[in-house]
Amino acid sequence: MKKNMKKLLALVLVLAMALTVFAGCGGGDSGSGSGGTADDSTLRIRLRTALQSADWQQCAVFESSQIIWVQVFEGLYGMDEAHGGYYNLLAKNIDVSEDGLTYTVDLVDATFQNGDPLTAEDVAYSYGVAMENPRFDYVTSMINNVKAVDDKTVVITLDYPYSAISHTFWTIKVYSKREYEEAKANGVEFGTVPHTAGTGPYIITEYDVSAGLKLKAYENYWKGAPDIKNVEYRLITEDSAAVIAYENGELDYLTNVPLSDWDNIKKAAGDNCELIKNNDVLFVGINWASPTNNNILGNQKVREAIFYAVNKANIIKAATSDYGTPAYEYMPSEYVATSPKVSDGKFKTFDYDKDACHQALLDAGYTEDEIKAGIDVGTILTYGTETSEKGKAAVVLQACLAENGMKAQVELGESAPITARMYDQDYDIAIYYDSGNYDYNNIRQQLHSESKGMYIIRYKADNSPFNWQRMEELITMGVSTADEKERYDIYTELWNMTMETATILPLYHSALGVAWSDRIDIGDVNPSFYHITDFSWTE
Amino acid sequence: MHKYVIKRILFLIPTIIGVTLIIYFVMNLTPGDPGRAILGTGVPQEAIDAYNHNLGYDLPFFQKFLNYLYNMFINHDFGISYVTKQSVFAEIWPRYMVTLKLAFIGVVISALLGIPLGIYSAVKQYSLMDTIPSLVSFFLAAVPTFVLGLVLLYFFSLKLNWLPSYGLESWKGYIMPALAISIPTAAQNFRFTKSSMLEAIRQDYVRTARAKGAPESAVIWKHVLKNALLPVITQIGMSLGMLLCGAVVAEQLFSVQGIGSLIVERITFKDEPIIIAGTILISICFTVVMLIVDIIYAFIDPRIRAKYTKARG
Repeated sequence: MKKNMKKLLALVLVLAMALTVFAGCGGGDSGSGSGGTADDSTLRIRLRTALQSADWQQCAVFESSQIIWVQVFEGLYGMDEAHGGYYNLLAKNIDVSEDGLTYTVDLVDATFQNGDPLTAEDVAYSYGVAMENPRFDYVTSMINNVKAVDDKTVVITLDYPYSAISHTFWTIKVYSKREYEEAKANGVEFGTVPHTAGTGPYIITEYDVSAGLKLKAYENYWKGAPDIKNVEYRLITEDSAAVIAYENGELDYLTNVPLSDWDNIKKAAGDNCELIKNNDVLFVGINWASPTNNNILGNQKVREAIFYAVNKANIIKAATSDYGTPAYEYMPSEYVATSPKVSDGKFKTFDYDKDACHQALLDAGYTEDEIKAGIDVGTILTYGTETSEKGKAAVVLQACLAENGMKAQVELGESAPITARMYDQDYDIAIYYDSGNYDYNNIRQQLHSESKGMYIIRYKADNSPFNWQRMEELITMGVSTADEKERYDIYTELWNMTMETATILPLYHSALGVAWSDRIDIGDVNPSFYHITDFSWTE
Repeated sequence: MHKYVIKRILFLIPTIIGVTLIIYFVMNLTPGDPGRAILGTGVPQEAIDAYNHNLGYDLPFFQKFLNYLYNMFINHDFGISYVTKQSVFAEIWPRYMVTLKLAFIGVVISALLGIPLGIYSAVKQYSLMDTIPSLVSFFLAAVPTFVLGLVLLYFFSLKLNWLPSYGLESWKGYIMPALAISIPTAAQNFRFTKSSMLEAIRQDYVRTARAKGAPESAVIWKHVLKNALLPVITQIGMSLGMLLCGAVVAEQLFSVQGIGSLIVERITFKDEPIIIAGTILISICFTVVMLIVDIIYAFIDPRIRAKYTKARG
């Protein structure tokens, strides 16, 4: 009996060893894997979070917008991220009246995926639907009226001149009025099932919130049938699993590669990967009105001391595995022509400076002993976990402050409640993202008191030490002229004023890692929206 | 016995109400609201309030709670997801079936691995066949599912290219997630079975059976195992219950769209209908599993059976 057991044990050990040897010898080349269950003519893309809806208006998660906004629907304008600016898409031509209030739009000869021709009525209807949705107030609040003049002409009238209207033309997508209305009439919530109500290059053939979705090329697409005929989005929530799936050849395209895995991806992908500067910016905001420690943050010198204490290099190293880029501008100037360039030296910046920090604290009235003991500047609030970019940035910021005679706590939480607290000015120091937009007027959401966006720092207040009236005036001036040079100068003054308040500090632009299989060419890599129509098979 | 089963089933009703109340209460305490989470940053407060009002989110706590109970028990309606606008039941049920399937496979594998090894190890105490499995189980019980899953992915998917790294589209897809959840459970089952067996082996009735000349196999199977299995069954029931709650880590790692990952995903959006319905479903299943364990207990343990027979007599 004992002998038999020994034999069995030996067999088990031999099998275990054999398995290890096999595993060690096994190949892991990118693109060589079995590729899941999809056939060879299917492009496989990772979906990090479930697609909440096939309706462009209901896409609350950016990744959903990457699919529905670009592959399925189209707007009057497209966005040229790689080079900055917008281009005509469903709008063949747009004439602007001299007073800048009336836009006459001629439409291209496109058809919806259901076969219906695109008409001015569809455009007017879609804008009407979007204008009723408060989520799109930020791009529609200036529109007074959208009217179909004839089959192919739409007239859009504004309440006031608004030079950032291009972003509206890109954001608002066009539905097939007939199909949208039919869904409503049938009691079906539009977007919960596959539809053919877009003019985009891909039709949704299967949609399951739990599993992902499948697209097929719209052969009658007005710009020509796409090269890639079938696309499958597979829901893989875990980053490490997605990296393994890519390395195993089960995915053809992986965007937002976790930066901590970038070295591994580079090894596996060879030339088929690219790391580019993201157009988002991570900011530190200081609530000057916070009552913490006898309104310590109301002291301009303390705020300056905080900003001088920020070591962007260390934060970038921790948060982005050193792949990020220090930020000084509100928007990357290479993507947005009207964005003031730091190289011009026309606005104030804060660089890590221990001496300047120390001097600012002394100027604020603190003694050497108090600085040595650490001055309490409150809590750093951000959303995400300790291992997320923002979480890491918060922890390093805390260490930066501690090194420079200031104490702060870190508080992390879920996005929804934390952002709500930021909007309610229930914080001391906040770390948050902004931008991802291509018109400088986007800054309005941070600086204007009537902003319907992220007015995290309340400049307008009875006891405000800032010239908020001028800031708001500059915002209005910036959007009422289409002259690029004029806008640039206005925004330079505005950004300088903002930096002088020492309430907002751009930290860094993160990096966007993209990897693809050797089965495809992907053209230019964009910071946010990719176009499958730019992809092609290499074989 | 029937009375006992019916009593336990009826006990499900207050359990569900209690669980619903607790979840509602906890959700009510957490900051944030669905309007803000879904509409995003660029929206004024009035619009968010209007959105919440349309969802019925701004109703008083007890009114909301009673409405929910009414819809659940009378209309069998769990509501509509705030995020996807799809029927909660339609979203939850397929995901729960996935979890259920995976949990059963995991429990079966863990029982098949852990129990026989535990029995053998106890019978052959201090031999090599006891020492090695004990050491291995000690190690495996301590390895987090996440690490184990990554190791499996690395070897079987990346290096050997035998198994797909995600999805459950074929039987191959089940192998790694099932192993990831069953191996630590198998290690626990092994340790439980072994200690339970060792305790039973030292009992007087076992010594008596041996003294009376009963063959060793009969002593083990008839006298030791029957008694030793009782806590093991409880342990298996508990593991099944825990796995039914959604092996969230394994689900995330292998992109298995189960109930656990769904609830975690929707917590971010404060999608109350999904979170509440998912938790209720889990609590029902957990209670049912525990009920089955108790019934099996009664069948296996003659002492419990006798108690009920006496009570009837």
